[in-house]
Amino acid sequence: MASTTRDLGIDPAVLVEIYRQMSRIHEVDKAIQAGLSSGRFQFTYWPMTGQEAIPAAIAPLVTPEDYMLTIYRGIHDQVAKGVPLKGLFAEALGRRDGVNKGKGGSPHISHPPSGSMLTTAIVGGNTVIANGLALANKMRGTRRVTIANFGDGATSIGTLHEAMNLAGVWKLPVIFLCQNNQIGEYTPIPEYTASKDFASRAAAYGFKGVRLDGNDPIAFHNAMKEIIAEVRDGHGPVFVEAVTMRLSQHAGVGWTTHLSKEELERAKADWPVPKTRKLLLEAGVLTAEELDAIDQAARKEVEEAIEFALASPVTPAEEMLVDVYGDPEIPPRRHQRVKRAAERLPQGERKMMAMYEAIQDAIEISLELDPEVFYLGEDIGDPPGGVFRCFKGLKQRYPERIRPTPIAEQAIIGCATGAAIAGMRPVAEIMFIDFIGVCLDQISNHAAKQRYMSGSATHVPMTIRTITGGGLGGLGAQHSQALEAILLHQPGLKVVYPSTPTDAKGLLLSCIFDDDPCVQIESMLLNYTTREEVPLGDYRIPIGVAAVRREGSDISLITYGWHVRVCLQVAEELAKEGISCEVIDLRTLLPLDYDRILSSVEKTGRALVVHAATEFCGLGSEIAATINEELFAKLKAPAARFGAAYAPIAYSRAIEDAQIPNAGTIAERVRELLKY
Amino acid sequence: MASTVLTIPKLQMSSTEGTLAEWLVEDGALVQAGQPIYTLETDKAVQEIEAPVSGRLVQKKPAGETYPVGTEIGEIVAE
Ligand SMILES: Cc1ncc(C[n+]2csc(CCOP(=O)(O)OP(=O)(O)O)c2C)c(N)n1
Ligand SMILES: [Mg+2]
Repeated sequence: MASTTRDLGIDPAVLVEIYRQMSRIHEVDKAIQAGLSSGRFQFTYWPMTGQEAIPAAIAPLVTPEDYMLTIYRGIHDQVAKGVPLKGLFAEALGRRDGVNKGKGGSPHISHPPSGSMLTTAIVGGNTVIANGLALANKMRGTRRVTIANFGDGATSIGTLHEAMNLAGVWKLPVIFLCQNNQIGEYTPIPEYTASKDFASRAAAYGFKGVRLDGNDPIAFHNAMKEIIAEVRDGHGPVFVEAVTMRLSQHAGVGWTTHLSKEELERAKADWPVPKTRKLLLEAGVLTAEELDAIDQAARKEVEEAIEFALASPVTPAEEMLVDVYGDPEIPPRRHQRVKRAAERLPQGERKMMAMYEAIQDAIEISLELDPEVFYLGEDIGDPPGGVFRCFKGLKQRYPERIRPTPIAEQAIIGCATGAAIAGMRPVAEIMFIDFIGVCLDQISNHAAKQRYMSGSATHVPMTIRTITGGGLGGLGAQHSQALEAILLHQPGLKVVYPSTPTDAKGLLLSCIFDDDPCVQIESMLLNYTTREEVPLGDYRIPIGVAAVRREGSDISLITYGWHVRVCLQVAEELAKEGISCEVIDLRTLLPLDYDRILSSVEKTGRALVVHAATEFCGLGSEIAATINEELFAKLKAPAARFGAAYAPIAYSRAIEDAQIPNAGTIAERVRELLKY
Repeated sequence: MASTVLTIPKLQMSSTEGTLAEWLVEDGALVQAGQPIYTLETDKAVQEIEAPVSGRLVQKKPAGETYPVGTEIGEIVAE
């Protein structure tokens, strides 16, 4: 390296390192565009031409221990963070040797060894998850920093608002890095916002925001150096607006067409790759030969990576159901009949508990068992100790691990997801299941899919507890619905739905210590009206194991939640008419215990699935169809389902009673089925 | 002699075809990597496609027609 002739405002060796990263990014970009336009390979590419300086200038300031999240466009972020190019290219081409086994692809890279934790294609989706990773770092007492990269377009979406508000109030060690390339897809600033800048928004959340020139690697590096140090020192989050320019198309190859020819030429003059190269040369830091050697080495690394990727086989179809869950037996499939052992409850002491008390017992046990378990949700501090009273007195005993949140369900689920990716076991409370609509993107696009999209490079051992208000009456359409079918349609989640205090405790403990995202749906009606002797201490009700609540010989009533109780009443009534009902409590809705379901119906020859959820496209249809297909020859009547009428839940008691299956209407359906 | 095949690229998730609007370089001419060699029209945009490598351009399909993604339209033969 030549001795410098002028003061660059940066250690020349650092600038060389930054340039080396820019060169690697640029060679990757060039090779992808060349490969796509020549047809050498095909994949979906959102080029980052023009934005190379941002991650390159950060690279010398972070280590693989620091977390990074980015978006579909963030191939430059991946390269600079240290994701190996071979695995990166193989992933982009959907190959077996990709860092995520070819299941995530170019928009969904995760590579924990280099600190690249999650990549989203949902605008703004990673910002709330970054909070969770940052929270894990903070709770574990590390000095690691988490950087969430997103575009300027993401400043319009609510997720970022929730993320910034939570990060501010919890003083999380996270940097929100807005790569402002001045356009979102095809809509440039100022068409989509009246804001003059984005950095000034941070002040409204109580933390620092700075606007930096993302095309000036020296100034950007120097500013980021201070910011990263502050965040490591625990001074809370910072919002960085890195102003840059997207020189390429939104997707595909070629120069952008959203700028005029003159605008494009002006923008290219500020393109950090050639600009920095020129600076290094003119300042006498490197000779032309030395710069060529850097570019040549990058080109060689890229070419080897592409050859490696093209030689790797396309990830085969046999991989389809692997990585949906940790256990490949979990995804439902035809003729599946997995045998799972039932629980053995401890023989020791028991105590009379209502369901909500049994849940509190599970919460306390989990906190004792594992310091990495923590809880977050609205109002879970004292008072009131959770609006459903499951957290009474816990905040004082576990001040850091009982975390009352803002009213922000995306922030809650995203934070839990991020902390879970970091290896913690967070438990999030969503007060009513009706509110999952506002965080469904986090649940389904992120928590549920992350294991699969990352080819199990990461997984999400988090639990969501949520309440269904149906059956109590008077809560209205937005606090009463049974929405489990929505969750069952999202591969990657496990769903349990206890009907007894003993099960509520044992299933919750199983969920918390399961390595995949689980949802426990609790019934508000059962929480306060069901009491029984519950075993003390730690025990688990296995996920995927149904229970026979009453034996019978004429028909199997297959149900869950508060309808277990209703079906037991029905069985009692019908016994007087000489009809013998077996009542099966599913307890887990996914994975379903088809072995116990089919065994019961093999014996009775008739089945009725009953639930409070809408009958149309409900779980009952699924189970009835399976019984009909599997046991056709043995059935005395077609397996049937009975769920709620197709209407929102009414406030009128008369309507609600009639629209959801009740003891009278269920008994009627059973009598009909016995007439075949 | 190494040659690089040129096919109608899939530039957008939605693209299934593209129009080879114009060859910008004559058949048989020498091209440099990065030099625009033809214009491609899709439903989203008109853009110039650059030579992925340097070499001699061999045109295999006429301009002014629309071809499915993946159609071989030419090649660049290394000198
Ligand atoms: C929630 C959501 N809405 C819409 C889209 C479609 N979409 C993909 S990229 C994009 C533009 C995003 O712009 P910006 O955040 O500025 O990032 P950039 O692509 O410029 O890097 C849009 C609208 C999406 N992926 N996710
Ligand atoms: Mg943008």
